[in-house]
Amino acid sequence: MRPLGPPLGGGLESNPLDLVCAPASLRTGALLDAATSERVRERLQGLAATLPDLFGTLEPTCLDRIAERLGGEAGDATFGEILLLSDKSLHVIQPLPGRPGVALVAECPASSSIGLVLSAIRARVAELGAE
Amino acid sequence: MSVERESSRVLPSIPASPGLIASVLRLLAFVDDLPRGSTGMLKFGEMGLILLESRKICWAVSRSMRLRLTDILRNQSTPPLPREAVEEIYRRCKGDGKPIGEALVMSGLVTEAGLRVALFKYNGEAIAHLAGSGMAPETFVSHTRTGYDPKFSFSPCEVLAMLGSLDDPARALAAQIELANTLVPDSFGAAFVRSDAAAGALVIAVDRACDLPVVDLVEVCNWTAGLFDVAHTFDPEASLARATWGGQLALVAWRSKDVVYVGLCASRAAAARLLSRLETSAKSSGVIAAAARYGGPA
Repeated sequence: MRPLGPPLGGGLESNPLDLVCAPASLRTGALLDAATSERVRERLQGLAATLPDLFGTLEPTCLDRIAERLGGEAGDATFGEILLLSDKSLHVIQPLPGRPGVALVAECPASSSIGLVLSAIRARVAELGAE
Repeated sequence: MSVERESSRVLPSIPASPGLIASVLRLLAFVDDLPRGSTGMLKFGEMGLILLESRKICWAVSRSMRLRLTDILRNQSTPPLPREAVEEIYRRCKGDGKPIGEALVMSGLVTEAGLRVALFKYNGEAIAHLAGSGMAPETFVSHTRTGYDPKFSFSPCEVLAMLGSLDDPARALAAQIELANTLVPDSFGAAFVRSDAAAGALVIAVDRACDLPVVDLVEVCNWTAGLFDVAHTFDPEASLARATWGGQLALVAWRSKDVVYVGLCASRAAAARLLSRLETSAKSSGVIAAAARYGGPA
């Protein structure tokens, strides 16, 4: 696990978004990177722990039927990227396409640019897919 | 004062309760499960019936119900409509076999919007009585047409929301206005609360474009409630969420006090527009300050 932004593991100067992220299990809600600093773990483990409650809890055909009413195609019968915003923080959950049952969880202060945050997260997802 | 605003003076007599909402859900799910475009009569034996046009509810009758449509119509105007004038039109319609509501609109005594409000309440109450009776629909008799104007028909989820609104009509009206002011083209939505009146989410308002099966509407509201519940454990201030699925679809949810809103968007662009509206709303109300910052890629 590492904060995003070069150099990896750098401080606020090198990670201006103050964004941290890590892969986590959708089934257990556990962070999957053993080499996680305590500081980063504190920021992410609450979000990661919610994953089992958010994924696979909707009746599988429900999203299909809603998609039909919206005139679109459902694709996977589960949610993809989830964003949660407050005055304090932005949290993002991004399932990893190449690793079923695993999502990247990320957190940064609300003052960060959301566009930049999402770009950084998507880049990290691509990296993880290539590993 | 307009007829529509006056309508809150005439409330259906059935209180929302967990048992009632569950029974109504079962009944409305039966309507949803009929084939698309179903038009005809859903019979509940001697207890009553529901007339449907294209699977929308036009008219419901329950033998156990005392409330009359003419009473609702008379009392939602100030001063109440003269009884003699209404009864004269009623007699004429009975003779001609025509719907009284539409005749009242033709006469100028009632506006179209006022008639829709009255029919909404009348049909909602009748359906609550039918559901409360515990009797399941016995048969569905197909017709080619019911003769009712589609303007005065209601989706099952509209009826569900109307019954949910009984818990707190003022809150439901505010939620309806919030949906109308916030939802964008290519989206539809609903508002719900947690209440003792329902085991899960209690739907209190839907916009007119929302024609989801009631089971799916409640399911997605329950999921959204769970989303904010779990978010509360690590960020109690979380008040705005977006979840995507499929290639282009998105759910946008926001909270204001105890009401949660769900907007279902047919495209990422619609989701971005919806978030932009929330931004405007946040600037004026300060309720969702986080939305004011949302400007990232959809």
